[in-house]
Amino acid sequence: MPISIRLAAVAVTAVAALALTGCVGGASAATSTGAAGSVATIPTLGPDQKVSITFESYNLAQAGAWTDTIQGLISTFESQHPNITVTGQAPATAAGANTSYISSVQTEMLAGNAPDVAQLTFDGLDYIANDMGAQPISQLVGEQAVQDAFGGQYPMNAKATKLGDWNGVTYGIPYVFSTPVLWYNATALADAGITHPDFSTWDGLEKVAQTLKAKTGTAPLTISCTVTGGDWCMQGIIKSNGGSIVSADHSTIEFGDDGSVGAVEEMRKLNDEGLLQNLDSASMYNAFASGKSLIQVQTSALQSMFMAGAKAGGWQLKNTTLPAFGTTPVAPTNSGSALFIMSKDPAKQAAAWEFIKFMTSPTAYEQISTKIGYLPLRDTMTEGDGPLAAWAKSNPLVAPNIAQLQKLQPWESYPGSNYSQISTIFSKAVEDSIYYGKDPKTTMQAAQQQAQALVK
Amino acid sequence: MAFVPVADITLPVRTTATTIRSQDRARTTVKTASRRHIRVPAVVGHIVLIVVAFASIFPIYWMFATAFREPVDASAQTIFPWPLSLDSFTTVWQQIPILSMIGNTFVMALSVAACQLVIAILAAYGFSMWQFPGKNVLFLFFIGSWLVPFQVTMIPNYVLISQLGLLGTIAGVIVPNICSAFAVMLMRQHMQSFPRELIDAAHMDGRNSWGILLRVVLPNMRPALAALGIMLFIEAWNNYLWPALIFQHQSNALVQVGIRSFLGSEGDNWGAIMAASGLACLPIFLIYLFLQRYIVDGFVRSGLR
Repeated sequence: MPISIRLAAVAVTAVAALALTGCVGGASAATSTGAAGSVATIPTLGPDQKVSITFESYNLAQAGAWTDTIQGLISTFESQHPNITVTGQAPATAAGANTSYISSVQTEMLAGNAPDVAQLTFDGLDYIANDMGAQPISQLVGEQAVQDAFGGQYPMNAKATKLGDWNGVTYGIPYVFSTPVLWYNATALADAGITHPDFSTWDGLEKVAQTLKAKTGTAPLTISCTVTGGDWCMQGIIKSNGGSIVSADHSTIEFGDDGSVGAVEEMRKLNDEGLLQNLDSASMYNAFASGKSLIQVQTSALQSMFMAGAKAGGWQLKNTTLPAFGTTPVAPTNSGSALFIMSKDPAKQAAAWEFIKFMTSPTAYEQISTKIGYLPLRDTMTEGDGPLAAWAKSNPLVAPNIAQLQKLQPWESYPGSNYSQISTIFSKAVEDSIYYGKDPKTTMQAAQQQAQALVK
Repeated sequence: MAFVPVADITLPVRTTATTIRSQDRARTTVKTASRRHIRVPAVVGHIVLIVVAFASIFPIYWMFATAFREPVDASAQTIFPWPLSLDSFTTVWQQIPILSMIGNTFVMALSVAACQLVIAILAAYGFSMWQFPGKNVLFLFFIGSWLVPFQVTMIPNYVLISQLGLLGTIAGVIVPNICSAFAVMLMRQHMQSFPRELIDAAHMDGRNSWGILLRVVLPNMRPALAALGIMLFIEAWNNYLWPALIFQHQSNALVQVGIRSFLGSEGDNWGAIMAASGLACLPIFLIYLFLQRYIVDGFVRSGLR
């Protein structure tokens, strides 16, 4: 008898828990329903027209300053637009890769649950614009409205404004991004007698690394661009050597050209000299933060982590711009993301546009830059008596990042729906060439052919 | 003639004495050897066990050590955290709703384990006690579903859960996991080895199948049920991918999603990750503490085959 009572209790508990938990959670995401896709100019929302939209942002997947800042901005927007309700949500994904943010939206679209506004990375721009159904913003709201949004008292950097364009149409409004900068442990360098390191060129970097290696006996250098996940900044290194990733018409893969191979060969040379540590991307930034790597080429977005590491380790953190190949101009690329309208409902599109304008406004960048640390795309805010001038002055580590904004080259998205596989092929070829003894020229050219076969 | 026996006796006596002595020596040698034989493996065994125990415990120690370091020292390599700090726990407390997350996870894991256990008991009873056409084929389907990777069914499940309106709910995590082929297989194995004589006797006493299951079979399988239940609970508690897919809002999420939120493309907060992970481990530790006897019984006496 007791066992039957217990079993009955277990069964009742299970059923009750199911029912209860189903009630407690409740469905939350709004669905995009309504009119079929249209490229007509979207209507202006009436003052009493209530609209709810969802905003999917990978920043909301990270607790702390990221979530708090974005949620704070959403609240500010809602208070300014009482007729628009915005529900922020993190991507439905376990991984942190760029492609997983896009696949999250794909999955939600499949379930009829796509977000109305999505923060997606630039590497998928071709796919997002041509296959995923992102709405052409400049056609929805008009080109002038887009330019007006970019302008204002503190206009967005001219290089940045074009990053979300595809074939002359604006699909994404650039939102947050960083550039690859060279971080170094100034204390360790000083201990090795290097007080004024010359990092202006890769040759200069090589000499500094050689000196450190001679003093410490270990490889001092880590370059996150050379491993999986570093596609975006490896593109910058290649472009800095005159190489090309994709043809101007986005039809041909070109990372097997001489400039690309030359850039990879330079990295290979550093590895052959024992100056490079062969680690995955996360191990690299953890190694630098803990003082196990003394120089690192890495995204500027990790500044706060490196500052914490430097404080813990009692060493001085410094940074500078990406090194050049001799006299060839440096071509830093951007990481990061733009805001896309995914909704096909005109009312939601109108609300989404209002929201995007707010999230890329000076008000938003003031919060985003000071609280999260992202590069202010409206860089004029850091000049004169701009609202971020004092912040920029008190944070000298942001200077190289802002300086590189003026020379920015786009993070190329590979053409077609196989963009992610092409990125994998590229990164593997780079890794094989630098760390695993493969010949850079034949490996990069073979990878180019393999990638070209995937272009559809 | 008399000498002969004496001689015969004497010699054997000597021989016997010698033999005894040699036998004693042999025994002593054997004992010594066996002692050596026993001691050496025992020492080696203990060393191996100590190493394995250390390898098992050290990551947990390191998790708590990192959690109790000052946040700026989170990546420090010193064995003992000093100065001690609760800042990482404070960060977790302030930045995610950790208590409600642990509560939600507990409800989810308990519900999943209970559902899987109930279904496993019923299905296993049918498979082991009854004869019906297609039984083996049906059982193979059960086992076959165990061999299908979760990633294959992930998207169809997601679409179905979305259509059911269960996205972002604990029920959305539970429903696709309501049946475990592993649990069915395990219970079937146990029930197949259950003495048929007891079942037949119960039949003769007029018990129906429910009566036999509830009053004969299950009371004798308590250790195995306890062990399996705990295994299922821990498996559900540790499930990561599906909850991460289902929950996009932290306010009502599970602890797995909360821990993940300290990892990001803009850097990882290791102190907070370890503090949240340490807190997430506590319920499992407590369960083990209180149910240790049942767990050991389940694994050792009954045995999980």
